[in-house]
Amino acid sequence: MNKPSEQILYGTVLTDGSRCFSLLPVARLTPDSLTRPSAKPVPDPVTQVQSADSWRVVLLNDPVNRMSYVVMVLRRVLGFDEPLARHHMLAVHEQGRSVVWTGNREQAEAYMFALHQWHLMAIIQPDEAS
Amino acid sequence: MKQVEVRLNIGAVAPLLDVIKKAADDLRDTLAIKAAFPEDDADFNETWTQDLMAGQNSDVRELLGLFDSDFFTDGAISIDANNCDSLLRGCSALRLRILDRWLSEVSLEVIEDEDADVEAIPAAVRVHFAAYTFLDQIQKIILDHLHPNGSG
Repeated sequence: MNKPSEQILYGTVLTDGSRCFSLLPVARLTPDSLTRPSAKPVPDPVTQVQSADSWRVVLLNDPVNRMSYVVMVLRRVLGFDEPLARHHMLAVHEQGRSVVWTGNREQAEAYMFALHQWHLMAIIQPDEAS
Repeated sequence: MKQVEVRLNIGAVAPLLDVIKKAADDLRDTLAIKAAFPEDDADFNETWTQDLMAGQNSDVRELLGLFDSDFFTDGAISIDANNCDSLLRGCSALRLRILDRWLSEVSLEVIEDEDADVEAIPAAVRVHFAAYTFLDQIQKIILDHLHPNGSG
């Protein structure tokens, strides 16, 4: 049943000035087999804060978003570098959750909201260590 | 500005767009992910939800806008830095909805396997699975070529 991916997508041409890149196969089903972010402010880059009023932002696993997407979102929302974003992505993938930020409640809520905007499931909870 | 042009087989994509539009209709008044609220305050939670809904609807509209009458003329969609964030989020929202509404009976092992045998997908939901995969591949193209994390 599987046929070459070109049945669905002919290919991708990346135009970057004069450069053209080769075709990119992307799908695996044949045709005949087929019967803004809102006004909420995005927080500043991460500042780790430990205090008596300390909250955790916990990122939860989901079966939909690809790993590279999660890494990209963590870099964009939380300001992580690539290795740290990958570390948290893998922790979520393997353990189902990862604490991606700890600090004051207002900032934690802002991060949670921003992650929801990208359709990543996140919760906040009191930091038991505080 | 870097731009990606994707040329598609119109006849193959058309049935996928039917599924995508149904999922988009679902998302007009429902969030793609179950809401988790940080506060026990109804007014706060309503504002939270409405803000997320507004963004989600905007993103989904941006995605559907790729497949306008021009698309059915030349089969091409164009993605660049101006629309790639919305498209990434729109694809994610729609994939979540498609999975929840039509693919819940398919094992996650199959869904997450990019080389899964099509025979493993029930015939009745193959077109939905194809739409789910199609949106995933649009995301992959954006992530691979437009580097929306700023690294490119």
